[in-house]
Amino acid sequence: MKVIWMTAALFLAFFAAAAQRRADNANPLGNSEQAIRQGQEIYNHNCTVCHGLNGAAGERGPALAAGREYARRKDQAIFDAVQNGIAGTLMPASGLPAMDIWKVVAYIRSLRATASDALVPGDVAYGEQIFWGKGRCAECHTIRGRGGILGPDLSNIGGQQTFEHIRDSLTKAPPQIPRGYQPVEVVTTGGQKLSGIAKNDDNFSLQLLDSHERLQLFTRDELRQVIYKKQSLMPSDYDKKFTAAELQDLLAFLSRQAIQGAERPEESDEDQP
Amino acid sequence: MITFSISLCLLAVGLSPAIAQVTYQDLLKASPHNWLTYSGSFSSQRHSLLKQINQSNVQVLVPTWIFHVPKADHLESVPIVVDGVMYLTQPNEVYALDGRTGRVIWQYRHQPALGKGPNRGVAVYGNRVYFTTPDAYLVSLDARTGNFLWQSKIAEFKDGFWSPAAPLMLNGKIIAGVAPGDYGMNGFLAAYDASTGERLWRWDAIPKPGEPGSETWADDSWKSGGGDTWLTGSFDPELNLVYWGIGNPAPDFNGELRKGDNLYTECMVALDADTGRLKWYFQFTPHDTADWDAVEIPVLVDAPFQGKMRKLLVQADRNGFYYVLDRTNGKFLHGAPFVQSVNWAKGLTPEGRPILAPGVEPTLKGTKICPSTSGATNWMSPAYNPDTGLYYVAALEGCGINTKSQEKFRPGGFPFYATGYVESPAEPRQLYIRALDLTTGKLAWEFKQIGSTEYGAGLLSTAGGLIFAGCDQGIFTALDAKTGRPLWHFNTGQAITASPITYSFKGRQYVAVEAGSNVLAFALLDEAKSAGRAKDKAGLDDPHVVRQ
Repeated sequence: MKVIWMTAALFLAFFAAAAQRRADNANPLGNSEQAIRQGQEIYNHNCTVCHGLNGAAGERGPALAAGREYARRKDQAIFDAVQNGIAGTLMPASGLPAMDIWKVVAYIRSLRATASDALVPGDVAYGEQIFWGKGRCAECHTIRGRGGILGPDLSNIGGQQTFEHIRDSLTKAPPQIPRGYQPVEVVTTGGQKLSGIAKNDDNFSLQLLDSHERLQLFTRDELRQVIYKKQSLMPSDYDKKFTAAELQDLLAFLSRQAIQGAERPEESDEDQP
Repeated sequence: MITFSISLCLLAVGLSPAIAQVTYQDLLKASPHNWLTYSGSFSSQRHSLLKQINQSNVQVLVPTWIFHVPKADHLESVPIVVDGVMYLTQPNEVYALDGRTGRVIWQYRHQPALGKGPNRGVAVYGNRVYFTTPDAYLVSLDARTGNFLWQSKIAEFKDGFWSPAAPLMLNGKIIAGVAPGDYGMNGFLAAYDASTGERLWRWDAIPKPGEPGSETWADDSWKSGGGDTWLTGSFDPELNLVYWGIGNPAPDFNGELRKGDNLYTECMVALDADTGRLKWYFQFTPHDTADWDAVEIPVLVDAPFQGKMRKLLVQADRNGFYYVLDRTNGKFLHGAPFVQSVNWAKGLTPEGRPILAPGVEPTLKGTKICPSTSGATNWMSPAYNPDTGLYYVAALEGCGINTKSQEKFRPGGFPFYATGYVESPAEPRQLYIRALDLTTGKLAWEFKQIGSTEYGAGLLSTAGGLIFAGCDQGIFTALDAKTGRPLWHFNTGQAITASPITYSFKGRQYVAVEAGSNVLAFALLDEAKSAGRAKDKAGLDDPHVVRQ
């Protein structure tokens, strides 16, 4: 009986400690730009021997920017690994002061951070006005069902893409038109002319979202002519159309477009069917 | 080029979309060219009026395309088809495919991708697609692009809920259910506004103290009573009643922990579609201790019963009995076993209550119980052909050895079975396709699925006089609806655990089925076209030369 009580007490102590840890596992420095910048400096002084520069792979340690598993870890788990090392691996205890470790944690998390995690500065409300107004973004893009559908849905753009990706999409022409957004003009064997976006195509079929926002499914023998346009419908000169402040405000608005779902449990397996 | 871009964008603004608009009238009419609901129509008969593919030509049915669903394991969704566009799911994902070619039009991934599968498919309405997720959300997408519109939380994922059933769309109102009762969470059905996702009503499958039915739960056992709603129901628009089968009580195998009949587990319930109020219920297995969820698809048929036209609801239940009910009031009309492996009940009373065989319940050492917990049938859909008057069902013979234990409910999504079962080695399992007379349940014919000891593949009936059936061997078979004689078969290469559908587009009928991680579509070999193309393009007479 005594053994049982001791075991029970140990369990209780374990769960109490675990509960406390869960409550404390957020980074006290948050994900501030300053913490990330300082963290990068500390990281590149202390961690690159094994992990490589800027989150790339090193000689002995994994690339921290490459795998989703690091982004999934709670802040406290990354902190523990840096502070104590990882038993059974080459990962040593860092010997860094706690606040420096939290900065490193902020930096490691930023390597895989999406725009919505990055707290992009700017006037969000004015950015929203630009989106629906003079930016004319909604002619082709949708947010939560409002807007045009020829361009990609932006309802979760901040939750899916990095800040850099969104900024580049607005200011740099992509090397190639993304699949699913290829502008085309087709002439059917009946002589009907249609323009729109090829959602998909191959030698034998073409799936068209036409300029009237209708899906049209064709086999190639139903088409007399298909003209592939060389330029994306997406302009890439918003750094010239807008002032720097306006562009930043638009980016701040877009970065906050994220779909909030259920909270991920600490050890969830994302690929579980 | 820039001019083109701008003009195209401008054209897009202000124009209303013209295709894939599914109306309530479309859902009522259930045109055979489309497959608009999980069971093909509100009545869930799974009988299509298409007959381009029929008994005279099914021998030249050929695969037209195969789509592999990345990372899929055993798909269980029923594809929905609207004007040639096919929508299908695996957990957390929706695909829109070109129904003629299998080419992807769009893909949507719900994130974070949490929880468990399976997922059984979408519902459609207007220009929208709806599906439920392993973290118990109802999600609405634009049917043309997969663009996100809204999502509503059905239940708390952190409590252990998920939502596998294809939601059922009514008139601008969509109904979703939850799983798992096996974890002791109490099930419910909820209706949502199809435009906004706002919840309109909720019906709880386990009554709270003081409510009718609460007297069927001893002590506090109702608190972890189960009764989930994991398979799509049916709808009678005239009666305005939604019919839905309710899952097992929890803990599954130890009834001592929940004495009483345990309403409304193991019931067919009829709910008012506007309010969610219970109109009637019929309990197939009171105080179930074998995990025989009564979720099997309710099939609605208007037919003469003993000389009088009746609105019937028929169900082959997991407990081994076939039931005929009056769907206006839930009255039991007839019941009979549709498998030979039934030892738990000697028969049914005039009210449809089982006459229990003594001592056939789980014990510490194990008791043989037939059918096994896998059930005489399960989620695989049955079908009804009004031309033959026959009801078709995938039936599994076999028994289990069931045991019980003491177990306490733990909140947060943990199994609450109070032990379980193993298949009885003395009665090896065997899968059959059986055709039953609608009103008597009398066996008209059976087709033995040789080598098949697992279930999962549902049935499709067509006006071409065919029954399409799959099995765990991966063989997809067309049977003569009148005799059960096999007329055609195809080895899909993977176990089939979903129900087939049919549709037509631009004059050609297709039959589609999911097998393992693939979706396959079949159509008649177009010999004339193949020969013509070969001559045109290659100058050859060989009809098998394909144009390049």
